[in-house]
Amino acid sequence: MRGAGSQARERRQAYLLVAPAVLVLVVVALYPVLAAVWLSLHRFILVFGERRFTGLENYVYLMGDARFWSALGNTAYFTAVAVAVELLLAVPLALLLNRAFPGRGLLRASVLVPWAIPTVVSARLWAWMFNPDYGLINRLLGGADINWLGAPGYALHAAILVDVWKTTPFVALLVLAGLQGIPEDLYKAARVDGASEWRQFRSITLPLLKPALLLALLFRSLDAFRVFDAIYVLTEGGPANTTETLSIYAYKTLMRSGDFGYGSTLAVATFLGVVLLAVVWLRWLGREEGRR
Amino acid sequence: MGRLLVLFVALSLGVGGCRRSSEETGAGGRTRIVFKFQPLWGDPKPFRELLAQYERANPDVELVTEALPNASDLAHQFFLTSLQGGATDFDVLVADVVWVPEFARAGWVADLSEDFPPERLREEFLPGPVDAVVMNGRTYAVPWYVDVGILYYRTDLVPRAPRTYDELRRFTRDAMAKAPGIQGYVWQGRQYEGLTCNVYEAIWGHGGQSLGPGGRVLLETEPAREALTYLHGLIAEGLSPRTVTGFGEEEARRVFQEGRAVFMRNWPYAWREAQAEGSPIRGKVGIAPLPTKDGQPGWGTLGGWQLAVNAHVSPARRKAAARLIAHLTSPEANRVLALHYARNPPRLALYDDPELRAAEPFIASLKEALMRARPRPVTPYYLLIADVLQSEFSAAVAGLRTPEEALTRAQKQVDHLTGEQPDEEPE
Repeated sequence: MRGAGSQARERRQAYLLVAPAVLVLVVVALYPVLAAVWLSLHRFILVFGERRFTGLENYVYLMGDARFWSALGNTAYFTAVAVAVELLLAVPLALLLNRAFPGRGLLRASVLVPWAIPTVVSARLWAWMFNPDYGLINRLLGGADINWLGAPGYALHAAILVDVWKTTPFVALLVLAGLQGIPEDLYKAARVDGASEWRQFRSITLPLLKPALLLALLFRSLDAFRVFDAIYVLTEGGPANTTETLSIYAYKTLMRSGDFGYGSTLAVATFLGVVLLAVVWLRWLGREEGRR
Repeated sequence: MGRLLVLFVALSLGVGGCRRSSEETGAGGRTRIVFKFQPLWGDPKPFRELLAQYERANPDVELVTEALPNASDLAHQFFLTSLQGGATDFDVLVADVVWVPEFARAGWVADLSEDFPPERLREEFLPGPVDAVVMNGRTYAVPWYVDVGILYYRTDLVPRAPRTYDELRRFTRDAMAKAPGIQGYVWQGRQYEGLTCNVYEAIWGHGGQSLGPGGRVLLETEPAREALTYLHGLIAEGLSPRTVTGFGEEEARRVFQEGRAVFMRNWPYAWREAQAEGSPIRGKVGIAPLPTKDGQPGWGTLGGWQLAVNAHVSPARRKAAARLIAHLTSPEANRVLALHYARNPPRLALYDDPELRAAEPFIASLKEALMRARPRPVTPYYLLIADVLQSEFSAAVAGLRTPEEALTRAQKQVDHLTGEQPDEEPE
């Protein structure tokens, strides 16, 4: 038994130790967020030196802004499809990498190459591969005549393909870590009981992999929701804004147009989307964790 | 090895020279001015000599050049943030045609009317570039070199340059029947500024104007609707490949240059490549002003760069900066830029210059198109609305929205950005 005094001291010490981290967060995360919220309540156009408080006017306009809703739709679609495909591909990939076979180390390393290439570089690379006249993709499809980056409907899927190519290895790595945390004994016991490979996968691997999968889902969907660089390099949001995500819309409004008020409103909306997503996933994650 | 040594010695001498001159600034009190621009492609020597001439003529000034990124929107971002912050670390800057009104209204570029009165500019320069730099009767920049959208055609496939849109369509159809597998008319349909240029050319060709009454950017007009219908129609009828909705300048040029298209809308730069040794279409290319609805020569979008002075710098530096601009936009400088860098001169006189006509007949032949070059809407709001124009024009051209819908949406957003009230709303 420890005394109440030592407990209080320990708590003080804990706060003291956490303080620097909290301070850093306040400076680098909280301040910009609050500044953006404050700016979003203004009409603030850089080139005119115009800055006046307009309250919620920007948000009212946002609600009726068709471009915002289509950007939100594109972002949600991109996030949902890209992350789902990445998870579906990553699990078999991780299972493969988890097996013992000659050259496994080399394969594990090389799988990570797409993830290691800077996004801007790989997006440029893919833009050339998608070129309808010279690109590799149409040639691989037997000389198909698909206007990948210029046709609405195709362009967003092309961007999803690039994202999947780039981040599946990262998800596979997270899943692989999860796989390696499953005790080998369980499989041994299952084999003694005569369970088939599929049964082992369903009853042991999948349930025990769930935390890793949920974590990957959390990481990737938060990331995908803020997607900017890959799409910007591929299409700049075109054609007809069909690949414009919230980040791209916010960037264009802020940096190209210099409309800091409405640009901040869009940035705040993106931020709220990410927070909402995080809250939903974390509650789910927490519930799953609690059940174990 | 010997050559390497020479290079090394030359380099170290050069470095030494630099250091000495900067020390002189401290002691001698020469005015130091900074010229911020994008490096010109090609042999750097003639341009360096041009700058050296200025230094020799102005011994009291030390000239420093600083490079900008070679992408217009990045350069704009740079100037936006640094001029807004009152930066004084550069004196002379290059500005894209659409920036000048914006920077002038913000008070970031100096009024140059004293040194370059608008009346004199109107006498000596092409009309389009002057319109782009003169606001409310004051001069805010001086045209440095100009660009214009023109039509390229295959002389072996069409009888002559088309004058009307109907002719363009008919010639394209005939040529495509004659040469199976060839594509028709290639232009810039990707969602970016090049598309806006193409659309404005079509709007002017249908009798439209860039600005409505009171300087308002007016988009819900009949010519604009016709222009978008025409451009989308080219794709829908197969006269332009569907892939033009992903084309920028280079994509269009490659297709045309490989002999796979009948017509191309592009800037004058594509001429050199098309006529280069080994080009499949060498000797089979003609240029003309763009067609219009009623057959008069079309108006091409004005492009190109202007020189302006940072309004935040001291009067002494401003004076030296204005002298640098006068030097760099002189007829002699115009000639150097045309002969060595294929940049079109903004000065009218150069188009009658015998030396230029002999050495660069192509440049001299652009006079008609350049006389009719028009700027995109000259408004301080242009960069604010450019993004809206790009996306709505893209939607209409790709057939995602009808021209009416796209123009209504664009008008609503543009009015919001410029603070215009829709007509029906009471004040």
